[in-house]
Amino acid sequence: MKNLFTLKRWAALWAARADFASGLWTTLRVSFLGLCFALFLGIVFGLLSTSKNKTARGLARTYVEFFQNTPLYIQTFFFYNGLPYFGVILSPFIIGILAIGLYHGAYIAEVIRTGILGIPNGQKEAARSQGFTYLQSMYYVILPQTLKIILPPLANQALNLVKNTSVLAMIAGGDLMYHSDSWATLYDYHAQGYIAAGLLYFILCFPLAKLAAYMEKRAKIIPGSIQVQNAEAAEV
Amino acid sequence: MKKSSKVFLSILLILSIVLTAGCSSKTSAGSASALENIKKAGVLKVGVKSDVPKFSMVDTATNEYSGFEDDLAYEIAAVIFDCTSTEAKEKKMVEFQGVTAKTRGPLLENGEIDLVIATFTITEERKESYNFSTPYFTDAIGLLVKKNNNYTSITDLNGEAIGVAQSSTTKDSIDAYIAENNMEITVTYSEYTSYPEIKAALDSGRVKAFSVDGAILAGYIDDTTQLLPEKFSPQDYGIASNLNNTDLAELVNTSIINLRESGKLNEMLTSWGLESYK
Repeated sequence: MKNLFTLKRWAALWAARADFASGLWTTLRVSFLGLCFALFLGIVFGLLSTSKNKTARGLARTYVEFFQNTPLYIQTFFFYNGLPYFGVILSPFIIGILAIGLYHGAYIAEVIRTGILGIPNGQKEAARSQGFTYLQSMYYVILPQTLKIILPPLANQALNLVKNTSVLAMIAGGDLMYHSDSWATLYDYHAQGYIAAGLLYFILCFPLAKLAAYMEKRAKIIPGSIQVQNAEAAEV
Repeated sequence: MKKSSKVFLSILLILSIVLTAGCSSKTSAGSASALENIKKAGVLKVGVKSDVPKFSMVDTATNEYSGFEDDLAYEIAAVIFDCTSTEAKEKKMVEFQGVTAKTRGPLLENGEIDLVIATFTITEERKESYNFSTPYFTDAIGLLVKKNNNYTSITDLNGEAIGVAQSSTTKDSIDAYIAENNMEITVTYSEYTSYPEIKAALDSGRVKAFSVDGAILAGYIDDTTQLLPEKFSPQDYGIASNLNNTDLAELVNTSIINLRESGKLNEMLTSWGLESYK
């Protein structure tokens, strides 16, 4: 800690900014693609877990329990060092998206499942009675209503996802954590390296959190209603 | 919030600040009488490797460390506590802590360990952060490859990935070797946090070579792997201590010189089956 303010170390950090930038860019891409993949899996398995079909529910249950109850690091390590023995060699970048997507997909599936179960049965029955198919009723009636409920935990998962991309550091994946580790341990300039990494992750996550809060507020607005600002006025 | 809860929380907050502040001042290194503190404590805290055969290995069942570097620690302790190294071992005057290339620096800086005897290569940049003793061993960098790749020399690794440890000097050494010999090859590096991880990557084909100091590499040779003939970049290992503890550094340095001149250092090396590169 006594070298926290050593100018030479901070100058060295600045000189290495290209490495950190490339790491940040990789983290950004893996986060985005990983989130898309996780959302996709989450919706698919969320729907499967609320279906009438017992096999579908069983499949969803297995997927969720497996990926929620094993550490992300072990899953990643297996994809990286285990799959090659089966002849499957994927680049660390793809493995990052795969592992992050599968892991967070399980959590998102649970979030969506609770969201769907929270919608009164009457909604589904009314939609079916109007002639919507199962998928149509989900898409037009049920899921939009779950948005208000699931947005906070979804935002939570997205933020965790961004931070979990650091698992790429373990498989030499060239993300922000990997480059920070590499630089920080090169001459033992730990304080500078990890403070820079923390700052960059914060810059990545904070706008995401703000965006989620904004979307949450918007999701609460019911079309056509008058928004009252305080409880007293509502009593009118 | 109830008043009592507020009082309780503020007490908790003050307590945690006081305790952590107390913690850091207790473990901060840099007092001029570091040697005195060690003598008073009666135990020498040394950071050593736990996964390098012959140098320093830990028996996970008994948590006992054994190896050439561990014996060196006992010799230093013998000088500090004015006894024989066998006595130092029996009376447990050395407290070993397993370190990696990544953790050995920080632990030394914050005073959790007094010395680092962990295949620590002496470099000019590192000398700015730590005190090093005169070298006690010289090793060269080697390259471990899979037998079934049929590589015969480093030039066969053109365009391949080489696995190295984070915070090691290996990457620079390989680049320098390639440049010095005007080899027209390009290699990429994948850094991992521990040697077993690099070995796993070599086994799965993620990297085509595992490169580190020969002494460490020796522990990972098995039926499926072999060393390439190239050995380069002699690395001097030294005992590292905190930059502020000049009295400790001096004692360690003199001890190594004495061990070398009396022939005891060579004896220790031979007993572990080790041979210094120069």
